[in-house]
Amino acid sequence: MAISIESLPPPGWDGEGFDGLLAAFLPGRLSEIVGPRSSGGGSLLLALLSRATARGGLVALVDASDSLDPVTAARAGLDLRALLWVRCGGRPAAAWSAVDLLARCTGFAAIALDLGAAGDTAPLSVGTRLQRAAAGSGAAVIVRTSRHLLGGAAALVVSVRRVRARWTGADQPTRLGGLVSEARVLRSRSDPRLAMPERAWLIEWQA
Amino acid sequence: MTRIACLLVPGADEPTQRLLLDVALAHSPSVEDGGSGIVYLDLRGLEALFGDEEKIARRLLNTIAERGLTGRIGVAGSRAGSRFAARSGDDISIIPPGGEAHKLGPAPLALLDLDPRMAARFGRWGIRTLGELADLPSRGLAERLGGEGPWLQRLARGEDPIPLRLWTPPLVFEESAECPWGVETLEPLVDLAAGLAEILCARLSRHGFSADAFEWSCRLADRTTHEGACAPAAPLSDPAAAAALVRSSLEAHPPCAAVEEVTLRARPVRVATAQPRFDEPTRPSPRQLTAALARLGPLVDARGIGSPLILDTHRPDAHQMTPFTLSPSPCPLPHWGRGELNPSPLRGESRVRGGPKASQILAMCRMRPPRPVEVTLAAGIPAHLRAAGLAGRIVAGAGPWRISGDWWTDASFARDEWDVELADGTLCRLARDGRGWRLEAIYD
Repeated sequence: MAISIESLPPPGWDGEGFDGLLAAFLPGRLSEIVGPRSSGGGSLLLALLSRATARGGLVALVDASDSLDPVTAARAGLDLRALLWVRCGGRPAAAWSAVDLLARCTGFAAIALDLGAAGDTAPLSVGTRLQRAAAGSGAAVIVRTSRHLLGGAAALVVSVRRVRARWTGADQPTRLGGLVSEARVLRSRSDPRLAMPERAWLIEWQA
Repeated sequence: MTRIACLLVPGADEPTQRLLLDVALAHSPSVEDGGSGIVYLDLRGLEALFGDEEKIARRLLNTIAERGLTGRIGVAGSRAGSRFAARSGDDISIIPPGGEAHKLGPAPLALLDLDPRMAARFGRWGIRTLGELADLPSRGLAERLGGEGPWLQRLARGEDPIPLRLWTPPLVFEESAECPWGVETLEPLVDLAAGLAEILCARLSRHGFSADAFEWSCRLADRTTHEGACAPAAPLSDPAAAAALVRSSLEAHPPCAAVEEVTLRARPVRVATAQPRFDEPTRPSPRQLTAALARLGPLVDARGIGSPLILDTHRPDAHQMTPFTLSPSPCPLPHWGRGELNPSPLRGESRVRGGPKASQILAMCRMRPPRPVEVTLAAGIPAHLRAAGLAGRIVAGAGPWRISGDWWTDASFARDEWDVELADGTLCRLARDGRGWRLEAIYD
């Protein structure tokens, strides 16, 4: 019996590999990347934005602590012309307001908030507001924080932790080669199988 | 019957030409810009308003004389005839109807503004004047020159079959509102400006234009002028979005004194409508995006909103903000976002448990401005780091990587860079120059 096309996974979906992790950040949903600094969370966020612009979409990054490095972003494949960069100057309240406003603007493929070192608190009920805004606009709204802030409003929560740094050099390190980090899905409303405890993604980020 | 006047002012510059066109347009609705110092008017139907042709010509000369200009006018049944009359006659020279061929006979062939190839061909034939061209047999001319030959011959005979290429003054989209009592608070002022924006947008829509920039200026009670500008992310003619944009711009740059008059100008652009492709990702509507950006302005510094542009230098963190626009349309990129940057040879494959490999770049979170840090050295190598919110023993590091550049300018730079790993796993980029150690970035 022939296999019907409907039974196959959608194009671009790779449920086992890194693409599978990126594809778990669905449009119209609120997602959260949780992890301390140097855990690879920022790199994951950059990979998500790059993936969206590579498909011709427009993305917005609300940068609470003005920390985006455009050169690294371009190296990661992010089309800077398709990026709306909102620099909040270390004011997390302004950053939350900005992402709330942008999440209601239809037409963006992804809208990200990188709280960075600007703070690890969220206004009351902002998660619910963002979830509704994302559902209305159809954009993938992603929040990168050091700790879980959005409560039950986030449809996807990905925890990232650092495994080890990779240094190159024969006897002693001569340069930073990259970072190996592990990503785990703590919650996925769309595909609960992703959140199984034994499921993890070991990712090597190149410096 | 066509009657054309040629207003000739030798040596007219661009403002003078504009003045001549304005004067001509005040007398006749059909005006053609004939080039520097030459304006053609269609005189048909003007007799009832201004009198006969001589009176019209006299009136035109008097009008430009009031503006300090002197010129000549020729009237004939064709452009070439009227120009010849204006150049060769007195202040006013009128060739009566039917007399063009006779009057134009001795005129040089150059009056027809022939292209060099055609002028050279007539020169080889020995044709020097319009009369000589007019006397040639039309059929033979057509056989040798095609359709252009008889057409030039008609011009030489004083017949001008092509109507004037009408000149219309460029549209100015500007609205003002006077408030002699002086508006001292911001709220009524922004309401006033928003109202002007709505009027401007209505005018833009009527002419099929959109605005890609708005400029506003306020005449203040202290006799100074307060000016500003704002640009939407995409050309728009939507009144609500334009009003929101102007409102936020004024709120971001409020005047420092009472406002007696506010003026708003829009820069018109023609926007071609195009059917988006079916496989094209959705994009924000200009109206919605402009409104969102306008509302973002008061939330964060408006200079911090845009798209980054990497500058062509080796200076670390060299970039500038450019306005975020919806054009050019972002296209799906095969691999890399910008053509300026080549794929790094360091870009490798990442290992993914149980799946195929993928390549990713380690993100760098810049400190802006770089944070001063205290670094303890052991045998010349950083051993301990202390900064605000960050301290620890350095367990691994690589460096120094010496970079320098722009030494040919006043803003030269030279420093040593280190990548270090703290005991808690934090990966940092440190820099050291004449001012000491600084934390440049944290890898994330």
